Amino acid sequence: MQTAHAAQSKLPALVRYSLAIALVAIALLLSLVLRVPFGNPFWFFFSVAVIATTWFAGRGPGWVAVCLSSLAALYYFIPPLYSFAVKPQDVPFFLSFVACEMVANWIISWQKQTEDSLRQARDELEVRVAERTSELKDANDALLNRMEEQKRTEEALQRVRSELARVVRITTIGELTASIAHEVNQPLAAIVANADACVAWLTLQIPNLVEARAAAERTIMGATRASEVITRIRSLINKTPTERAQVQLNEIIEESVVLAESQAKRNNVIVELELERSLPVVLGDRIQLQQVILNLMLNGIESMSGVTGGPRRLIIRSRIQEDHQVNVSIEDKGIGVSAENMTRLFEPFFTTRTQGIGMGLAISRSIVEAHGGRLWAESTVNQGSVFQFTLQIGSGSSE
Amino acid sequence: MKEQDPIVFIIDDDALIRDGIHSLIRSIGLRAQTFSSAPEFMHAKRPDAPACLVLDVRMPGLSGLDLQRQLSDANIEIPIIFITGHGDIPMTVRAMKDGAMEFLTKPVRGQDLLDAVQNAIARDRELRKDRAELTETRKRFASLTPRETEVLKLVVAGLLNKQIADELEMSELTVKTHRAHLMEKTKADSLAHLVRMAESLRNSLRK
Repeated sequence: MQTAHAAQSKLPALVRYSLAIALVAIALLLSLVLRVPFGNPFWFFFSVAVIATTWFAGRGPGWVAVCLSSLAALYYFIPPLYSFAVKPQDVPFFLSFVACEMVANWIISWQKQTEDSLRQARDELEVRVAERTSELKDANDALLNRMEEQKRTEEALQRVRSELARVVRITTIGELTASIAHEVNQPLAAIVANADACVAWLTLQIPNLVEARAAAERTIMGATRASEVITRIRSLINKTPTERAQVQLNEIIEESVVLAESQAKRNNVIVELELERSLPVVLGDRIQLQQVILNLMLNGIESMSGVTGGPRRLIIRSRIQEDHQVNVSIEDKGIGVSAENMTRLFEPFFTTRTQGIGMGLAISRSIVEAHGGRLWAESTVNQGSVFQFTLQIGSGSSE
Repeated sequence: MKEQDPIVFIIDDDALIRDGIHSLIRSIGLRAQTFSSAPEFMHAKRPDAPACLVLDVRMPGLSGLDLQRQLSDANIEIPIIFITGHGDIPMTVRAMKDGAMEFLTKPVRGQDLLDAVQNAIARDRELRKDRAELTETRKRFASLTPRETEVLKLVVAGLLNKQIADELEMSELTVKTHRAHLMEKTKADSLAHLVRMAESLRNSLRK
């Protein structure tokens, strides 16, 4: 209602009331002028004056118009003419005239008020919609800015990350080279020492053939070892198994346990075996497969070196799968692998240790895959990991 | 004191290299003993003879440099010949500072190693001789009476008998007697010899 008032009071009160008087005066004038040809049509003009006043100036001036119209009608048109007196037989006529005017005023003012409040509501709604729209636009702009900024940050991050990866790769290639150099240099050192010794025994005044022969044999062993290193590196690069022989994985597992024994003991790890007795053989390179198993075992032992309290158990299982495959799993109760690292676990040069070049798992996977198998890992942080691989059963013979 | 035959200790985790060096050293008539790790060497009973150590720098567990430190902490003085795959400069400097005799890179030429071993044993022989002399000198000096020790200090400081007598408030004759006794007990041939012995003792104490 307040809003309706506000709309009406757009015009000053003086103008509104003057309008009432002016309209009634015009109606009176018209009625007086037209009285002679048309008899007594005064109520039409007064009604129009009241309706117009109420419509344009509001309810108050409407009432003024009603009163003025009534007085004018009383004075000019209701006998006795030119007097405010009323003959008793004309009273109902006059009263119905006044009533009509009042009803007109009331209906129009009600109608006007409704329309005003509707318009007001619509205007308000429009204002609010506009406000909300601009708020939304601001929010949208801010969001766009943020997205833009984030995109830039991500790009910068990506650049830094790839740069870092490059540096890490260069560093680790250096480490890899150093590691290979050491592997090759060891047997070379053995060859030189033993060959020198052999020559020394032979150049004695009385040559010691027994010692010279022993030294020469060690020289040959050194050379063989050097060539094995080269072969290993070559097969690592080619990623193809150099040999395909029937291999009993249980035997390899048991040998690996012996090889890893001192490491397990040093870390207080108990190694448990759950091997399928009638495990069929697989076709493959024995040395490479042993490298895979040993690598997984040492990783498992290493992952438990920091574990306190809980049991340090490494469980190695072998079993036959229904799909004509052999499965070997190595389970540890170590620190586990975070989901983030899990995705990169088998990438070359990825490592979480301070020592180590991050090639072990990458090489292991490439070996298993070159054998037509699969190697994967499952892990729960602080619970442990299971590394397992499958290989196709070879040649059907079972032991 | 009869000196035993010199011995070379070889510590290397690689059996082939170890056996090769062992054989090479025996071929020139030297005794040698091999160990596959530093702790094994530390725990072994070693013969009392001029010796040297042929040591691989890079070994799993206790490295060659760690062993050098342990030996020096335990006051065991033995010349060390290091053998390394790729000796970087800081490592070499550290080892040399700590008293390494030689730093040879793999693969080592036989003659280089044998020369280094001979030098190291000669050096250890001298060291042992010095140590033995020092022990003997210490024993002789310990047999002096308190009065003789006082006289000794002043004699070595270069005072004349008369000055010593004044200093210690005794007769010059008594000083002469003490002096004769202490020369006899320390088996000093001359005043110069006595001063040298006292000096070497002082140096060993300072160390």
